[in-house]
Amino acid sequence: MSHFKSRRKGGVYVEFPPHAAGLLGNLARQLIELLSEGEPRQRVGDDPLEALLDFGSARERPDDPALQRLLPDAHRDDEEATAEFRRFTEGALRQSKIHDATVVVVCLGEISESDMEDVEFELDAVQARCWLRCLTDLRLALAARLDIQVGDEDAWQNLSDDDERLPLFEIYGWLGYLLESLIDVVRH
Amino acid sequence: MADVTSAPDAATLERPDTEEGVLLDVPWITLVWDDPVNLMSYVTFVFVDYFHYSKSKAQRLMMQVHGEGKAVVSSGSREEMERDVQAMHSYGLWATLQKSDA
Repeated sequence: MSHFKSRRKGGVYVEFPPHAAGLLGNLARQLIELLSEGEPRQRVGDDPLEALLDFGSARERPDDPALQRLLPDAHRDDEEATAEFRRFTEGALRQSKIHDATVVVVCLGEISESDMEDVEFELDAVQARCWLRCLTDLRLALAARLDIQVGDEDAWQNLSDDDERLPLFEIYGWLGYLLESLIDVVRH
Repeated sequence: MADVTSAPDAATLERPDTEEGVLLDVPWITLVWDDPVNLMSYVTFVFVDYFHYSKSKAQRLMMQVHGEGKAVVSSGSREEMERDVQAMHSYGLWATLQKSDA
């Protein structure tokens, strides 16, 4: 059963069983936490323009492989240009990714373990794109945690049942399935 | 009609800094690199959604990324390419910018 159905004007109808909604919301929250680490907290009342123009200080390339992939270098052989690009854009890039993940969290709403009802809601075309980007960011972060590399697909497809990486890899596969089915709906 | 009586001696002309090019405004390019995570359908979708490329052009670029490891997806001024690279990063694609002759 697909979780996504096409609606008028690029809208998408979404339906998740509670455990799936809980899992996805949890992952999106973790992503927000990862991207917010060490970032200045935005408070209600902060001038958003000022926050956008906060080119304050130089930024180091993140140490965390997941953040390295989510916030990659913009130049290949130019350290100075790379650092400059980070300084002027990394804050905004983090904010846009946090925004995408926040849309996912808000759409799914609060889910408790005792919930039995399916979670249902509609996305407009803009929200659907936030979902696509967030599902992608989640896959990138998980792939970095699992250390998935080009060319090792076969090894991943043949993990043994007792491999400790299997649960995480199954979530990664599930996110890929969600992304693929949402693309199918948004494209039409 | 003007009569050119004497050509200026090229040797005496002040030589401009040609490092950045004077007449030839060397454009910059945005490259998207292959990665083991992003779905082919998603990469194609991003090229259509962000660059407004036709489905066939987007698909051709995606196949180039997949088969050759990278593809030039846009070109223009440095500022434009910085914008494109940042947008690609927001979509989760692995992109870099550079001078087109680099």
